[in-house]
Amino acid sequence: MRNILLIAKREFIERVRSRVFRITTVLVPLGVVAVMLAGHVISKKTGGLNHIAIASDNASLATITKAQLEASEHPPKTIQIVSPATPAARAQLTQQLDAGKLDGFLWIAEQPGQPQPQATYYTRNSSDFFSQALLRSSLSIASLRQELISRGISPSEAKTLVKPVTITTLQIKAGKAVKTNAERNFSGMYALVFVLYGVVIFYGTDAARSVTEEKSSRIFEILLSVTPADNLLMGKLLGVGAAAMLQVAIWVGLTLVGSSTALAAQIGLHGLSSLGITIPELIFFVIFFILGFFFYSSLSSALGATANSAQEVQQFAFFIISPLVVSVLMMAYVMTNPNSITSIILSLIPPFTPIIMYLRICAQTPPWWQIGLSIALLLGAIWGMIWIAARIYRIGILMYGKRPTLPEILRWLRYS
Amino acid sequence: MPPVLALDSISKSYSQKVAVRDLSLAIEPGSMFGLLGPNGAGKTSSIRMIVGITMPDSGQVNLFGKKFHRSNLQRVGYLPEERGLYKKMKVFDQLVFMSRLRGLSESVATQRARSWSERLQISDALEKKTEELSKGMQQKIQFISTLMHDPDFIIMDEPFSGLDPVNTSLLQDTLVELKNQGKAVLFSTHRMDQVEKLCDSICLVNKGEAVLSGTVREVKSRYPRNHVIIHYEGSDAFLQFPGIAGSRSFPGSSEIELKPGASAQDLLHLAAANANIYKFELAEPSLEEIFIQTVGGRVDA
Repeated sequence: MRNILLIAKREFIERVRSRVFRITTVLVPLGVVAVMLAGHVISKKTGGLNHIAIASDNASLATITKAQLEASEHPPKTIQIVSPATPAARAQLTQQLDAGKLDGFLWIAEQPGQPQPQATYYTRNSSDFFSQALLRSSLSIASLRQELISRGISPSEAKTLVKPVTITTLQIKAGKAVKTNAERNFSGMYALVFVLYGVVIFYGTDAARSVTEEKSSRIFEILLSVTPADNLLMGKLLGVGAAAMLQVAIWVGLTLVGSSTALAAQIGLHGLSSLGITIPELIFFVIFFILGFFFYSSLSSALGATANSAQEVQQFAFFIISPLVVSVLMMAYVMTNPNSITSIILSLIPPFTPIIMYLRICAQTPPWWQIGLSIALLLGAIWGMIWIAARIYRIGILMYGKRPTLPEILRWLRYS
Repeated sequence: MPPVLALDSISKSYSQKVAVRDLSLAIEPGSMFGLLGPNGAGKTSSIRMIVGITMPDSGQVNLFGKKFHRSNLQRVGYLPEERGLYKKMKVFDQLVFMSRLRGLSESVATQRARSWSERLQISDALEKKTEELSKGMQQKIQFISTLMHDPDFIIMDEPFSGLDPVNTSLLQDTLVELKNQGKAVLFSTHRMDQVEKLCDSICLVNKGEAVLSGTVREVKSRYPRNHVIIHYEGSDAFLQFPGIAGSRSFPGSSEIELKPGASAQDLLHLAAANANIYKFELAEPSLEEIFIQTVGGRVDA
């Protein structure tokens, strides 16, 4: 036990002190922030009208349209009203548009005998779907309000009448209607799944690579004369795992702090809840992250012990990555069908459990017996995997030269 | 005192090949033991069984008079032929790490790392990473790492390969000193001159079996004194002497093996007639010759 801890400590310190660890610890959150900011900026730009003008002979219609635009999600900064809409005014607006002082102007001409006016939007952009959609809905509602007012309804009443209807979705679950989370923000959960996926792959192959490296530098020859192979394996897994967890803890900590800052508030984030992560889900994330890490890293250490070089590690990385890739590809399906037979079965198969079961828990709490069973099966699989890995490891690290075939590896399992 | 190591007819086979067959030997405290043999003879396989990396298929390994148990490995220091150090780790950290794995406390390990590196003149390297050091330096570090926990039984597989003469004699002196303190040293090598100089007993293995064993004196006395070493200047016509069974000539010297019954004195007379003789020695065969003679052309690998 003392030696397991000594080895774990060495592995942990080596990783935490490495340049890769420092760089990824800083760069990954920076990258995420950059992507979020870019997304925020782009969404502002695309909904983005800065300075526009509305020209109409009907000043009241123009004013209501302006009010509708200002009440929208992405209101333009300034809206200038030009009334009456004379040819001279049009020439002047065109000139301003050309000079870049205006982003566009909406020319509204009333059609006698028809409730809807004829509208033309002049702009420098060839296609700006967001602005067009915004203008169309604002003008349609404005003209409806105008029509209601002209038929004797008070302006405030007219405004209330055109308000959109809210729809609540309810889901029937075991005969009872419950609120769905269709409108919930899942971005935080998606981020965590990708952290789990990325970190497990990165540290899993890192464990394999370091086994191969120790094998080729022949350190094992000395280590094995000091401590048994399973101690080396356990120490390595614990040390690498601790480094992985420290990194994830730093990221989660930064997210907690960062999401409550003023900068985050500007882009609509207020603490963890606005990322759609609840505390129980975070606890389950930690559980499945640790279990997933031990499952995959023991598998990859065993494979690493059969390889002679880093290139050979690349060749089998596929075996480690494919169940995780399948899990990520199934993400959308599992989120929409968390209780389908496929989702249930997948979540109980140990290589898929970490991601699929976590998704099911986030989508809709599955029956407790299923969560319990999946964790029990995964623990059993980890135990079996470490048992197999220790055997392959003990023999594999002393075998140099030709890569062993599968039947040879199976024979190793029977030794002693 | 019981022998530090006693192998009781151990055997080990890998899928197709017999690596070690029925090997028995004993090493006494305070002695240096040479395990010799050509490449692939089973030396490393035997050592791996002694230090518990592998288990013998049959037979028994006894350490310090008791049946093999891992706990006794803390009294063993093993320097493998293939050197293994963590490339990215500082030398000092590495020495402390290895000694702590062998049961030393941090403070004792720190203190010994300093005193040993002073003794072997590598104090400057302590704060460097292994990958920054020369091969000879790494060798000395590995040597220290093997000895820091003050083992009673030291196993050295080719300890002097890659070292210059100054460092070789520094390490040799250290080993002799440890032997004189009562430690047992198992020394595996191809370098017969070193074995001859350092070892008390030897065991020559070939194809997994012991073919010669005993003290160096015993082994050599089994062979007749029919070797002549001549250092000379002038004609080498004496090589035509009919009593010569075989010879090897070097610039200014020859090593001659006489036929049974041939007279060395006659050879001296013949040689002195044509050349200036600086040295004429009637010697036992060297271990090297015994090695070549015993293993002969049968070396595979």
